[in-house]
Amino acid sequence: MCRSCGFGNWLLSMALIVVFAGGCKDGDEPKTLHIYAASSLAEAFRELSHGFIEKHPESNVSITFAGSQVLRLQIEHGADADVVATANPAHMTALAEGGHVGQSRVFAHNTLAVVVPSDNPAGIQSFRDLPQAKRLVVGTDAVPVGRYTQQVVARAGQEYGAQFVQAVQDAVVSQENNVRLVRAKVALGEADAAIVYRTDAVASERVTLVPIPDELNVRAEYRIASISTSANAAWASAWMDYVASPAGRAILARHGFEVDG
Amino acid sequence: MSGKTTGRWPVFLVAMPMLGLLVLPVLALLFASSPSDLAAGMKHDLFMPALWLSIRTTVLSLAIVVLLGTPLAWWLAVASPRRRRVVELLVDLPIVLPPAVMGIALLQTFGRSGWLGDWNLSIPFTTTAVVLAQVLVSAPFYIQSAAQSFRRVDRDLLIVARTLGRSRLGAFFRVALPIARPGLIGGAALAWARAIGEFGATLLFAGNMPDTTQTMPLAIYTALESDVRAAIALAVVLAGVAVLLLFALRFVWSSSSGRARVQHGGGSPS
Repeated sequence: MCRSCGFGNWLLSMALIVVFAGGCKDGDEPKTLHIYAASSLAEAFRELSHGFIEKHPESNVSITFAGSQVLRLQIEHGADADVVATANPAHMTALAEGGHVGQSRVFAHNTLAVVVPSDNPAGIQSFRDLPQAKRLVVGTDAVPVGRYTQQVVARAGQEYGAQFVQAVQDAVVSQENNVRLVRAKVALGEADAAIVYRTDAVASERVTLVPIPDELNVRAEYRIASISTSANAAWASAWMDYVASPAGRAILARHGFEVDG
Repeated sequence: MSGKTTGRWPVFLVAMPMLGLLVLPVLALLFASSPSDLAAGMKHDLFMPALWLSIRTTVLSLAIVVLLGTPLAWWLAVASPRRRRVVELLVDLPIVLPPAVMGIALLQTFGRSGWLGDWNLSIPFTTTAVVLAQVLVSAPFYIQSAAQSFRRVDRDLLIVARTLGRSRLGAFFRVALPIARPGLIGGAALAWARAIGEFGATLLFAGNMPDTTQTMPLAIYTALESDVRAAIALAVVLAGVAVLLLFALRFVWSSSSGRARVQHGGGSPS
């Protein structure tokens, strides 16, 4: 008796699991456009998606944000994406070589900037003051923002001398895996300064932007492409057209990106 | 009782799906990398510093968890159920909260603008921060398991020990601790495993700096950004090290608890 009721309970739980699992099934309608975008595009793409849905009320947009490398890994492993936008041309090239994406196009540029907490404890007024930071947070060289940071610091070394480079390197307390984690450390007030994309500096009210001189800065290239296996090719190209349209470019510019024209 | 007559096959069949679910991903991970990949992963720049840091910090955090957690576990075992309930809930909280939330909570406590910020402890971005994060996320596993096994210690035995002249502390160390030892070992092993896998709280509270705060899970995450194969190799090695250490821990401690039992058996008549 007890045994059978135990089995009944078990059967009931299994049935419940099946019911709940069924509820979570990927029952998305085909009109949902899945976009994979670099972390630094978060605010701009969210606003773009609102504009896109206004223009195409029958559509639905879902965006996944991650580092360009993670996006590439997920797409290479068959992620259900229709469009991908990367912050680094190398990853787009690798995706194209693997036959995962169609022709890509440049849709925006980004530069680097220093951010400091609103109370600016280290008193950093210009890029030259960066060595005053006791705790500096940057991106790891494994991610694009970290490599761009190294380029900028190396160029600054030619301009300001080797001590600048040494002092900056000594001040680094953490090499984060994505630019949002870099910025978070300043927004939380734990770091005196961080080097992030200009767009990340613009997007947060909790940090203050200190510009990096143009002659020392880099230009990060943002590329967008549709996924070869996408079942939503028409919507994918509609999205790419919208991003390149005057309305789309205005949104990107408002978030700190450089757009041509 | 009826176990023998029921036969074990049906039970095994019902148990299989869960086992498969647990084992399959680990197997897939093992087979995802060739021996040469593994060798390359172990030569990776990030590997040795991260492994050494992970071992150092988790040994320290486990020591802290056992030292500070055992008294709390004992209190939980002897306190009245009504008082206990609230404390048990508080102890479990770190298990329920996402690790990243724990990281932010730690910053709000020890960070510059945190509650203890005026003390200028400068804990974030240091190895101390790594250990603190590990203690916080792993302690509940040890405390719960220890409290449960302390609860199974027969109080009469402690009373007998005290009438035989043991102090309160002596009764605890010579009677309660040996009896509860298997549960303590299990809890410690679980806590240690949780500490070595700690990622989210460390990422936010301690940052990611080779030699200082970049433990194995953070090194894997970093390697993932540049070289997936290296990341998989690092992950396989971490899994291997973890399994080895867990076995060693269980083996060493359970054999020493066996010895303790023998000593007690031999010691009681005299």
